Amino acid sequence: MNTADSSSAAGMSVDIDDVQSGALRPRPVPYEGKYILLRVDDRHAGRALLRRLLPVVSGGLPSADRSQDAWVAVAVTFQGLRALGVPQESLDSFPRAFREGMAARAELIGDVGESAPAHWEAPFGTGDVHIALSALSSDATQLEKELERARVAYEDTPGVQVIWQQDVHQLPTGRTTFGFRDGISHPNIEGVGLPGSNPQEAPIKAGEFILGYLDETGNLPPMPSPDVLGRNGTYVAVRKIHTNVAAWRRYLRANSSSAEEEALLAAKMVGRWPSGAPLTLTPEHDDPELAADPNRVNNFLYRENDDRGYRCPAGAHIRRTNPRDATIIGDARMHRLIRRGTTYGPPLPEGVLEDDGADRGLVGAFIGAHLERQFEFIKAEWVNDGNFIGYPGEKDPVAGHHGGTGTVTIPEKPVRRRLQNLPSFVVTRGGEYCFLPGLRALRWLAELED
Amino acid sequence: MPSAKMHDRASVVRIDMVRAMAPHARALGDPRTDPWQENLTMTATTGATQSAHPERPGRSDGVCNEFTVFTKIKPGHADALREDLATLADAADDEKVHAAVRQIGTLHDARHVIFDNDTRFMFASVFDGSWDTYIDDFAQTVVGARFDKVFSHSEGFPGVKDPGVKDWFVAHQEPAGVFVSAYPDLTVQQIYKDQRVDDAFQEVLDTPEFRAALENPANAELVATPAFQKLLEEASA
Repeated sequence: MNTADSSSAAGMSVDIDDVQSGALRPRPVPYEGKYILLRVDDRHAGRALLRRLLPVVSGGLPSADRSQDAWVAVAVTFQGLRALGVPQESLDSFPRAFREGMAARAELIGDVGESAPAHWEAPFGTGDVHIALSALSSDATQLEKELERARVAYEDTPGVQVIWQQDVHQLPTGRTTFGFRDGISHPNIEGVGLPGSNPQEAPIKAGEFILGYLDETGNLPPMPSPDVLGRNGTYVAVRKIHTNVAAWRRYLRANSSSAEEEALLAAKMVGRWPSGAPLTLTPEHDDPELAADPNRVNNFLYRENDDRGYRCPAGAHIRRTNPRDATIIGDARMHRLIRRGTTYGPPLPEGVLEDDGADRGLVGAFIGAHLERQFEFIKAEWVNDGNFIGYPGEKDPVAGHHGGTGTVTIPEKPVRRRLQNLPSFVVTRGGEYCFLPGLRALRWLAELED
Repeated sequence: MPSAKMHDRASVVRIDMVRAMAPHARALGDPRTDPWQENLTMTATTGATQSAHPERPGRSDGVCNEFTVFTKIKPGHADALREDLATLADAADDEKVHAAVRQIGTLHDARHVIFDNDTRFMFASVFDGSWDTYIDDFAQTVVGARFDKVFSHSEGFPGVKDPGVKDWFVAHQEPAGVFVSAYPDLTVQQIYKDQRVDDAFQEVLDTPEFRAALENPANAELVATPAFQKLLEEASA
């Protein structure tokens, strides 16, 4: 057993081999991947599918040889658990946000206007999404091999239907559609044995990310019953986000008077330069060398050197969504997430300012043991409001839904700069709350009787 | 500035109100006619000198005071009370209530709570200045009428305009064990003022002319003063 040691107060070590590999691993670089959504029309068929998928799903830490590493993860929505015939008592034991599903929580998390569920891509939010498969690898051939095994499993199972698929892949630039390197930050999770990306981050209790272990509050996260179903599972909010790259570029152009100013403004809104180098460490210009150094690229805090945000604005995307030690209302450690963003669609060619009509953006997976305290809180309080940093009503410049009336404040001497009339640069195309069971739990689901 | 004028007008109205109520307040403050001064646990001064607004129960933190009243709900009245509170909380009335609170100008916040299995009722608030003025103000506004309605479900309530209403409130008041304000130095009026100043300041910061003025050598002396530098510190983030 590859069970990592844990120094948690309860003396519990994380049973990492029972945790799906897809849960805790950082996204590889580069990467290829695929999301597949399935509907279960018959509970026996759904269980048969899970039985066939079991040998495809792995647990534990990444293989030392990254080029040989690929993994498939199996997640289930609340409607999916119902479709699989999970007993009512067990269904009732899941937390409310998960039971209601992402579409029902849209207003709370800011999926309004053009991002509202009424405009979502089918089958998101319809109740038809029961099982979500995701596959990721740093190697295309390896990914194909894993996907083929999964494909055999669902194609040989009448009574389950593939209802949506999305290929994701790293763009040739190695960056998001907006032109920024992502996937840099990963929390330091106690007892798991994966290094966090910020050497200055004290380990976060495993219970923030995996059910069955103590969390930052000193309690066990609420766990569904029976114990075998909950233990070593976690939740994942999966979202398809369309990015309006042309609007982003036009806004930068309209609010700058030179290419350098444009690059700086974009960096101020994101919090990092295109290479991934953080403004906190290099506020004046991009520094690809720093960005390429894994020991330095995420090795920073905010409070000591940049409390007022002269380097990285308090409202910048990465500072909002992971404020580290910044002066904010509340405690940032209570709202950590594993974020796994993957890009879909073609890039908008460099320099183009007009929309070409192509669908592009990212499929994001936001993983943690507490949907409400983590994903939903971050969306509602940090992305869609600025109260926590003293800018009430000001949203995340990149990820917020602004509808043409947003503002962003950029601290600057002698006088702060405030940009007006921000359009929305992202549109939610759909999403689902999923439960990512541990391997024993997956077997329990597969072997349900009646 | 129009808002400043409105502010002045509001102050005039309030001073008139206080003046009109003053003789009444004095009468209530007389220890010989007010048993609460002896019976309740107050630190009221003894001796010849009595101020127009004697000390009242309740703790204070800086300029902020707390006021908490517990009453008995008349048997069978809980649902009617709940309905009245729902009307009070109704969004349609929200604007009127906030306007009235603005008119009172001394009330930080207030809450009504039904508890003890529908048998008891609590009103709790935080306010600036003297307790007497506060009650007087209530009686004069749309909030007063609501107060009347809500407290009419409590046993023995004489009505908010009744001369004995303060005695009744005092008899039902329970001072806090601890009371702390997040901004003990700020009255409601100062908070409003600060809000107006910040709004205006932010507006100035949005003008390119302001930045140009800072860079203009003609203004260098002013900009270099410690006072202005302090202002710029706030202007920078």
